[in-house]
Amino acid sequence: MGQTPVVEFSQVQLCIHQQQILTELSFAIAQGQFVALLGPNGAGKTSLLRLLQKEYQPSSGLIKLQGQPLSSFSQSELAAKVALVSQLPGPLFDLTVADVVLMGLIPHKALWQTNTEQDLQQLRHSLELVGLAAKQHHSFAHLSGGEQQRVLLARAVMQKPLLLLLDEPTNHLDLYYQHQVLRIAKALNITVIASIHDLNLASRYCDRLLLLNRGRLVADGTAEHVLQQELLTEVFRIPCLIDQNPFGDCPRVSFGYKDIR
Amino acid sequence: MSKIWLAALPVPFVVLLAIALFVLVGVLALTTGSVSVSVAGLFGFTALDEMQSTVLWQLRFPRLLLALLAGAGLALCGALLQNASRNPLADPYLFGIVSGAALGATIATILLPDWQLFTALFAFVGALLAVFLVLLIGASSRWQRLESLLLCGVAVSFMLSAITTTLLYLSEPFAANRVMFWLMGSLSQASLTHVALISPLVLLTLLLGLLYRRQLDALVLSDESARSLGVNVQPLRFIILLLCAAVSAAIVACCGGIAFVGLMIPHLVRSLFGLSSVALLLGSVWLGAVFLALVDTLSRSLLPDQELPIGVVTSAIGSLFFLSMLFKYRRG
Repeated sequence: MGQTPVVEFSQVQLCIHQQQILTELSFAIAQGQFVALLGPNGAGKTSLLRLLQKEYQPSSGLIKLQGQPLSSFSQSELAAKVALVSQLPGPLFDLTVADVVLMGLIPHKALWQTNTEQDLQQLRHSLELVGLAAKQHHSFAHLSGGEQQRVLLARAVMQKPLLLLLDEPTNHLDLYYQHQVLRIAKALNITVIASIHDLNLASRYCDRLLLLNRGRLVADGTAEHVLQQELLTEVFRIPCLIDQNPFGDCPRVSFGYKDIR
Repeated sequence: MSKIWLAALPVPFVVLLAIALFVLVGVLALTTGSVSVSVAGLFGFTALDEMQSTVLWQLRFPRLLLALLAGAGLALCGALLQNASRNPLADPYLFGIVSGAALGATIATILLPDWQLFTALFAFVGALLAVFLVLLIGASSRWQRLESLLLCGVAVSFMLSAITTTLLYLSEPFAANRVMFWLMGSLSQASLTHVALISPLVLLTLLLGLLYRRQLDALVLSDESARSLGVNVQPLRFIILLLCAAVSAAIVACCGGIAFVGLMIPHLVRSLFGLSSVALLLGSVWLGAVFLALVDTLSRSLLPDQELPIGVVTSAIGSLFFLSMLFKYRRG
């Protein structure tokens, strides 16, 4: 390979209020990889994403972005490279869909610069990508949770990031848009790290899976490598079966108990 | 969608409408009052006698300017504080500014009863002292929660009011009278000096608000979301608080307590013009200015030979406005 990885964690630990959240995380993510963060609640998925946002500082160890220590980036330098799509509390004051998507320009615009025709084209393009071109002038607060999520994805596209972080992007979405959001993210051809609960979506769309359990990285690799019966049963504490996904070349996981429906 | 009906009209039309209303209110304010000045006289088509000319240029003109500025400033601060704190009830007065100003005015009235100028100066210092106390407590909790800052404001307000009341209780009765009148708010002392003091502060705040329009929009969603876009959330919020405190303190020092403008106008503007920061800030400045100029004209002319305190009129309108909002929410 020889290329500098986009993200590199070396021996990263995170303690918050004397509680160990992440333990000795080391991994590197290459340019263009679509990585899924998997694990039960409290495994440390969101904390890991927060570290990449500089919302948290590692207690020890080093995080690098494009070979540079993450701590050397200012908030706005970081925003020009890393975009985040996460859950929002319901907004109190309303904005239009266009207002929200245009926020993606913040890292790229000086204070006095106005929006150009090119920016507006980019706005329409981003909204078309998520299937909301017709709702440009609608109110953001009155959209469904799934539509809001897609608007935020359009905003992230507008941000033109090197690395896209998705914090449970498929929550609130119906089946169609669960697939759609991941297809859009994959089509962007940038590096993506997504925390996902649905192992089958991860298996279908992600190049690489990172499985976390109690703050430790317990498996790292392709879907075939990570989605192993004993491992998943232990981590998720539910019996599971693994077979072939009839739609493609990837494993399919089924969880459940045989005796109780 | 249908909620923001003015936003659906073409921008030049809205701007023309705004200018027309602005001019109309200005003409109304300058021509109304105990000394009548005709519209023709105002624009120089007919000659004015000396009395009319003095009233027009020495009294009504500075008073109109001060009303426009104070209304614009209070509404602007309300809009900025509400967006920055994501709290629809935030208002310049929530940070103890009025009670701080009242304490300053009380001390000035008791110590230097013959010096009008000191009342304003002490009121300004008192208002800043109140905000400083609130920020100090806010800083000690490391700006973790905005709600705690608002609670600090309420606590500081009550503490300073208690001191003011005690001082007035111990002082001679006329002092209490003077402070009461001052607190009710009035533009009758308006001069071009006041205008020159307040206008740079209001303009600076508006300019910064417009420059940071995208950042302010981003703050409306969530702090985390704003930070992920590169917004330095806490410094931005701190600067907004400081500027709004300075603007409101200056306005309160010059005009006394004029309540509800900062709270009510941004709410109206959101339903009229839309919600992005540019529309909100410009709309608030415009509507605040027009509203206060109109209310001041009313307070001068409602009673024959007497002025109503402007703060009383804004409070009355404000309470009616919020009751109507309450009924609107209940209905649907």
